[in-house]
Amino acid sequence: MKKRLRIRDISQPNEQLVDIALEDLMKLPYPYDQPDKEPPFKQLTEDQKERYESSLDGVSAISIPRPKSKEEEDKLVESFLNGLKKLLSKEDNWTFLQPLMLSLENCAKCQNCSEACPIYVASGKQEIYRPTYRSEVLRRIIQKYLKKGGKFFAKFSGDNIELNWATVARLVELSYRCTLCRKCAQACPIGVDNGLIAREIRKLFSQEMGIAPKELHQLGTVQQLKVGASTGITPKAFKNMLQFMEEEIEEKTGKKIEIPLDREGADILLIHNSGECLSWPENPEAFAIIFDAAGLSWTLSSDLVAYDAANYGVWYDDVQFSRVALKHIEAARKLKVNKIVVGECGHFHKAMIVTADRLLTEETNIPRESCLPILEDLVCNGKLKLDPTRNDFPVTLHDPCNIVRLMGIIEPQRRILRKICPQFREMEPHGVDNYCCGGGSGFAIMQSMNFPDWRASVSGRMKFKQILEVFQDVISPEIKKYVCAPCSNCKGQIRDLFSYYNAWEKCGILYGGLVELIVNAMVDIKEPFIRWEWH
Amino acid sequence: MWGIIFLQIVSYLSVLIFVIVLIAKAGRYATMPIHLRWELYPVASETERPYGGSYFENLDWRAKPRQKSLLGELKFMGKELFFFTLYYRLKRHYWYFVYPFHIGAFLLIGWLVLLLAGALTSLAGISVSAQATNVWGGIVYYLTLIVGVAGFIIAACGTIGLLMKRSMDEDLKLYTTFVDYFNLSFILLILFSGLYAWYFFDPAFTVVREFMQSLITFSPVTSMNPATYINVLLICLFLIYMPFTRMMHYIAKYFTYHKVRWDDEPNLSGGAIEKKVKEALNQPVSWLAPHIQSGKKWSEVTSQVKDTSETEVQ
Repeated sequence: MKKRLRIRDISQPNEQLVDIALEDLMKLPYPYDQPDKEPPFKQLTEDQKERYESSLDGVSAISIPRPKSKEEEDKLVESFLNGLKKLLSKEDNWTFLQPLMLSLENCAKCQNCSEACPIYVASGKQEIYRPTYRSEVLRRIIQKYLKKGGKFFAKFSGDNIELNWATVARLVELSYRCTLCRKCAQACPIGVDNGLIAREIRKLFSQEMGIAPKELHQLGTVQQLKVGASTGITPKAFKNMLQFMEEEIEEKTGKKIEIPLDREGADILLIHNSGECLSWPENPEAFAIIFDAAGLSWTLSSDLVAYDAANYGVWYDDVQFSRVALKHIEAARKLKVNKIVVGECGHFHKAMIVTADRLLTEETNIPRESCLPILEDLVCNGKLKLDPTRNDFPVTLHDPCNIVRLMGIIEPQRRILRKICPQFREMEPHGVDNYCCGGGSGFAIMQSMNFPDWRASVSGRMKFKQILEVFQDVISPEIKKYVCAPCSNCKGQIRDLFSYYNAWEKCGILYGGLVELIVNAMVDIKEPFIRWEWH
Repeated sequence: MWGIIFLQIVSYLSVLIFVIVLIAKAGRYATMPIHLRWELYPVASETERPYGGSYFENLDWRAKPRQKSLLGELKFMGKELFFFTLYYRLKRHYWYFVYPFHIGAFLLIGWLVLLLAGALTSLAGISVSAQATNVWGGIVYYLTLIVGVAGFIIAACGTIGLLMKRSMDEDLKLYTTFVDYFNLSFILLILFSGLYAWYFFDPAFTVVREFMQSLITFSPVTSMNPATYINVLLICLFLIYMPFTRMMHYIAKYFTYHKVRWDDEPNLSGGAIEKKVKEALNQPVSWLAPHIQSGKKWSEVTSQVKDTSETEVQ
């Protein structure tokens, strides 16, 4: 059952702050309108609880081992405080100091942002998931422990928070209960950004204490910089995969296409998320078919890092973010291409095109663009022969936050869908007002203990509700439907959501990218490109 | 007499402190280093794409001219400032109080400006009164009266509403601190004392206008009723206190919108942004996690990858 929490409760040792119960969560539409129609929420075992920190909500996103002694706890708390000082200094945090300070110092605590947060609403309004809760905890720690006379004035400023290991451990977990979708920031009249505060807390833990989810850090950016991709795919394996894709293209379409690799002097260096190669090879295949048919000058790269459009650093660590971004630029310079084009990967759109913009100077500042305007040009200006009746099934569009709210690419993908999908329909809300898939900011790849259950039943709940609502008139599993999600991480999350809720069997909903729909409509391809058995 | 001189000194000091702290606060935000891009759409200057689109929707966007509309920004800010549209749309029950609170405050700022205008008008030898033969004197007199009284009443209603809302609404109560209650109570005290002074002692705001005149001419006024004296004193104390509180968020709002949310200025080769980025890349890094090489410059740390494969990172 939900209980009313105070800010200072985050410091209470031992007791778990909240329990996630299915009956408290936001209701889902038919056919999930009864709680017993939902899968049970997996609880941690006693052994896991004993070994790992989970006292926030009984969920472990980061798998932090419990400190073995009071001395170890004190050392971690001290390290946190040192990191916090750096977070607030212009020498150590030039990258985000101004937006961070503006958000920390000016919140009116009016809670206008709360209803905008899909996690807070979907959780049945659990206090700890309110966008302002973690920000307020951090604010009060700063006030009390870093300001002169802070301990004295803390008595007058409200809940008197204690900085101990319980607070620190819960705070880092709490920074991974926000997908950084920034819908809350959009709702703030002052412009305070609680999403940014969550990100900066993650950064403090990673850059000062070396604490981050292993899927983002060790298996993510560290592996990407060392092996070549966050998926562990090596350059050699990547080349083999391309060969496999060429064979599959020929098998499916009869077209013999050579996917250009390391072609010096090409106009475009196209970078896909390497997750596509592993889980959805039809996506890079579809890109190859379209770019080949349009006669574009393009290439992929087999250089370390450059064949993986992932940059998880954008979610938790500025140093790792910069390192990965520079590697992508290095590959583009080596191939002497005119521009980098980002495939269907949401976070890489924002990371490479927007956020990295102020890390690049002179010759490293290579033009970087989204694939969506290119695809729009090809589809809407008649450069491909398309037959929309081939996509005559209900289609909806999921807007990846990074592409819409965080960089303003809204219409190109819609113009394409309106042109090639006669039964295209919009979710509500959509565009810049969209809801996150629930897998944003790395959640889609984080698999720690019962975190995937939380991700499916809490953070992804709003998106699943939207999808069910948009297809309510055709919800029968007999009618095949398609959720177009032009982002690898969103697809990963939607895949997990559909699997968790058995959505294919119960509702007949498939998910996939945008290019697959384009190729499916190409008249010179005899067999349907989209296969319903992909579910 | 000495009491009035004291009030005049406090008045000068309060304005001085207010302005100095205001400039210092704005200056502090303005001189923070350039940050990585973190815009949020819709960006108001993109009026050609009212659905929240950006220039990134253009093919080869770097080669195309970018349209930025100042009018779009002003329209958004105007709607936000004078109608509080985000509250109206998302939190109507709060808007009913926060809107009059702020509109009342704007009117009171207007009242202070009108008092100043009235004082200058009187100094120019033009009578500011109901019987004024000069049109300007009459306009200033009536406007001061209407704007002042409306401001005090509307702001008081909003403040009472906010105090009730903050103490009774569970969602707000949890985050409302002693300081927040103190601030609202302080404001309410000023408003009540102002209304009291106006109703019982200074129905045409003549006394405060004369006081304003004395501040301009550096000359004393002969007398002042205790109610107006207390009201003016409280206003002065508030001016001294306010810049040190979160109530200065209107300064921050300029930066959160123009320097973060709407800051979509691309970094182009040879431009001012590139120059600032180069400076930032020279900053030393002192973060201590195992994968970071502390002590080096940002540009060095990020161009070299430290092998942490042997390091246990959770």
